[in-house]
Amino acid sequence: MLNLDPIWMPDAQQIHFRLLLDAMARPGKCHSLTIAPEEGPAVLTVLATLLDAEVLLADPHTLLRSDDWHMLQVASAVVEQADYVICDGSRAPNFTPKLGTLPSPEQSATLILVVDELGQGDASLRLTGPGIADTESLLIKGLDKQWLEMREDWVCSFPLGVDLILLDGRQITALPRTTKVEML
Amino acid sequence: MTEMKIMMIDRTLWVSALKALPIEQLLSFTTELSKDWAIRSKSIPQSGLGMLRLNDSAFEEAFYLGEFPLASAWLEIETSDGLIAEGAAQVMDDRIEAAEALALCDAVLSAQLPGWEQLNKMLDQGMEIRESASQNRKHMLASTKVDFSLLDEVAPDAMEGKNAES
Repeated sequence: MLNLDPIWMPDAQQIHFRLLLDAMARPGKCHSLTIAPEEGPAVLTVLATLLDAEVLLADPHTLLRSDDWHMLQVASAVVEQADYVICDGSRAPNFTPKLGTLPSPEQSATLILVVDELGQGDASLRLTGPGIADTESLLIKGLDKQWLEMREDWVCSFPLGVDLILLDGRQITALPRTTKVEML
Repeated sequence: MTEMKIMMIDRTLWVSALKALPIEQLLSFTTELSKDWAIRSKSIPQSGLGMLRLNDSAFEEAFYLGEFPLASAWLEIETSDGLIAEGAAQVMDDRIEAAEALALCDAVLSAQLPGWEQLNKMLDQGMEIRESASQNRKHMLASTKVDFSLLDEVAPDAMEGKNAES
């Protein structure tokens, strides 16, 4: 009777989960999202894949509609306690996310930043580290530079830190905490 | 008259009453009723297992008595006339379609959308079946009741018998 948006279906979520794994394994490489939501922001595709009722989400820039929260069935939290934080990349961060603890570094936040465009733009990054053979270049449009400055502070005490997922309307890429980012 | 009747049956009993009817009857009714309507999910329809948690009486420690099938749906309907209503259902069943159909009925009854009168009659039928089942259960329970006062009458004789034997 009901026709659900494909992003909520297990098949699409498995495809997108594979995409996120690839993005995390190959930092800075852009991957095209195969299925976009019929309604609502593109970030829903990633959130629908990653979240369930066991994790906490913060949306300090109110990127989600109230209907999206019902569909995600995720609990809301303040940004300092959230497991996942979605933000508008063009706005500078004014918080410190969870960085994990030494016994449990995995209990840190994953930041999902919505930017204007990946693969083009004024922010030019050179990436090195695990998952990158030599160096990787990444251009981003619509990312406040303070995100990268703050990220340096957040990931300086490895294994503590945060993992970043960046997405525009069509593509995603990731910057895990192990990636060294140099701004050109 | 019918409007009065629907007011008399509490909304919390609608799902329970309609669930008493054969699910095929409900599914064919809702499919026919909603064929020209736009139906959107407000949350993901799901089916799974619920866990029944209790505390033991000795140590007051929590334990799970068992599992039961559970399906839920929450949806929004827009009829071909542009009327909008929301309905939801959480039901002990493992079929998502059953929860969806009951959620649709909930929306139709609450907003009195086209077809609600027919649904109201089904609601009455369901309530009757539910009442009858409840009476049957009560009857069965009553028949298993032990009257311990009879033991008092039997006990002296039994004691005498025992004394005679010794």
